Amino acid sequence: MSQYYCAADPNGLIQHELDSMTLIFQKSSGITHMVADPVPAILEVMREDIVRPEDIVRRLTDQFDLQDEGDSEAIVLARLTELCALGLVEQV
Amino acid sequence: MRSNAQILVDALRQPQSTLALDGAGWADLISMARAESLAGSLAYRLVDIAVPEAVKPVLQDSMQSSELARQQALWEAESARRALSSLSCKILLMKGTAYVAANIDAGIGRSIGDLDIMVDRSRLPDAEEALLDAGWEWVKPDPYDDQYYREYMHELPPLIHRERDRMIDVHHTILPLTARPTPCPKAMLDDAQKLDSGLYVMGEADMVLHSVAHMLADGDMAGGLRNLWDIDRLVRQFSWNNAGFWKVLHERAQLHGLEPHLARALRLAARLYDLPTDKSFTGASQLTDYFYVRRLLARDGWGRESRKITRQFFYIRSHWLRMPPVMLARHLWTKWRKK
Amino acid sequence: MFDMHHINLAIGPARFRVASCWREPLDQLENLYQYYPQITDEYVDFTVRLEPEKPWRRYLRPSVHISGDYWLPDAAPLPLDQGLLAAEMGMNLQMALGWRRHLLLHASSVEKDGRALLMTGLSGSGKSTLSALLAENGWRFMGDEFALLDPETGLVHSFPRLISLKNEAIAAMHKIVPEERFGPFIKNTPKGDIQHIQPPRDAVKKMAVTAKPAMLLFPRFGYESALRDMGKSEIFIRLTQASTNYVALGEPGFRSLTKFVDQVPVKAMDYPTGERALALIDELWDQLP
Repeated sequence: MSQYYCAADPNGLIQHELDSMTLIFQKSSGITHMVADPVPAILEVMREDIVRPEDIVRRLTDQFDLQDEGDSEAIVLARLTELCALGLVEQV
Repeated sequence: MRSNAQILVDALRQPQSTLALDGAGWADLISMARAESLAGSLAYRLVDIAVPEAVKPVLQDSMQSSELARQQALWEAESARRALSSLSCKILLMKGTAYVAANIDAGIGRSIGDLDIMVDRSRLPDAEEALLDAGWEWVKPDPYDDQYYREYMHELPPLIHRERDRMIDVHHTILPLTARPTPCPKAMLDDAQKLDSGLYVMGEADMVLHSVAHMLADGDMAGGLRNLWDIDRLVRQFSWNNAGFWKVLHERAQLHGLEPHLARALRLAARLYDLPTDKSFTGASQLTDYFYVRRLLARDGWGRESRKITRQFFYIRSHWLRMPPVMLARHLWTKWRKK
Repeated sequence: MFDMHHINLAIGPARFRVASCWREPLDQLENLYQYYPQITDEYVDFTVRLEPEKPWRRYLRPSVHISGDYWLPDAAPLPLDQGLLAAEMGMNLQMALGWRRHLLLHASSVEKDGRALLMTGLSGSGKSTLSALLAENGWRFMGDEFALLDPETGLVHSFPRLISLKNEAIAAMHKIVPEERFGPFIKNTPKGDIQHIQPPRDAVKKMAVTAKPAMLLFPRFGYESALRDMGKSEIFIRLTQASTNYVALGEPGFRSLTKFVDQVPVKAMDYPTGERALALIDELWDQLP
């Protein structure tokens, strides 16, 4: 049974790209995170909605033309778990 | 060189008193305030005072620092809330974090260290597990201290978050179980007020009494001036336009066994910070108040602790407060043996 | 309780009250900082305290505990003959823990034609010694411990404290810098032998003049000459590790550091000798637009 997730308010984040990595400054925590693809894309498609991993995969496929090789949901779930530990995503 | 912190107390009580200070006086005041963790509070008190140009950036820095502290404290609280959300129990914020979460005067400019929360004692094992699961780890893996903590203290052994490097103290009551007054944590939890975030803070009277207990029943009064300033700010705000507050405060003090402590704290706040109080609550000044004041003001213009003998008296007293004499002997014996 | 002597020092944008139970370290400081602006009104930003480790260590094998407005709980004490070092470390501690008017980078900096060269790296990379060398070769010395980056303007502010030389660098600098600019030779410190030199008078006179950061080097002493590019992510991480107040500055810190990393060219520079380093630096500097 899939869990629901919600991303931090995009207005509370400042993103900055640096070669292959993206910096994310979260204003509420004052913490600077450095993340790699597909994390910025995941946050972007989540917007301010409450979504499940499979919803995210679908949005990524639509918006970024993601080629789903069957393990996309597992990858997204792994990233979401990391993002929860960082405080950039919350399980609801 | 100033040998006591009177100018700091004066500056907090009457900000315009600082206009009489020269450069050396300001250097003393700033060092004292920093040593007493009152630099932020002082800076906000001086916001409308025409301070010398050279002093403005220092005060500005203090205000910004306290703003950072506030932000970090609220984030720690939020992280704890997320980690403990599966428990479905009340999570009570305490001290500085509570003041800023509830947006009250006592939080303005306040320096904040660790996150202090309180939960019902029955939920402690679950809370411990949830926090360990969410990235916190034990600070000290010493089995004796651990056992001592779990049986006699009012909190879990300290935990620190692996990534963020910030500590959390999980309490189940506000004073050690072996201490003399035994406040009632259940009453505090029952009376707790819910914030928008879903976290809780204590009721107004309990908030004051926790600060009183912390200052006078749980330690050697290090940081006493800040503790007393908290009490002053809390009582002023809660009693403003609310004559009924004093009655509730008195009743709760009786409930928690903290009446003499409350009376002493109010007398000291009246003496140092001009807190308006009712003599019927505070009782007449006691001779021993004089020693408390000496201890509170034991800071010199360089920022050093002064008045060694007075401080030592309060240090011994603090151990005595926390533990009955027989236990104290056993505790110190075991600690000595380990060395 | 012993009373303390004190002196006040104005260095770059910061002012220190250095208090000490012993007169000797203050006399040494007063001598070495004699050309700096005098503070007559006693207003300061920080107080540093040099106190006895224990009361009986005031006289018996005197031991200096470094403290002040900002302090670390497990600071190791130093013997009194290293008192000058203790005072300098005390000032570093105040800046590292308490300064927030600029982003602090653990880097040396020198200026030429209004533009600043910053050099950062771990202990032993040679950033201090290089800055001392450059200071004797036509560059204006701006600092060897902290580079101050203004979060609003992006400019580098000068913070020219005594330049700290270690071990072999000491003998090397004795060949080019006049004796009277040297402080006492301090043996057996936690970092080996140390000797301080006064920055050139001109650098002190111009300490209020800022500069635009034009190049950042990661020097590495004791290798064949080589220049390497570095990835921006790596640079960013290394700089946050090299900054003591990046987190404390919050959003302005983030914005100013990302802007710095975006705009300032960076090279890793390996060098076998000071002379080769100077040549490499001149080459790189000439190639700047």
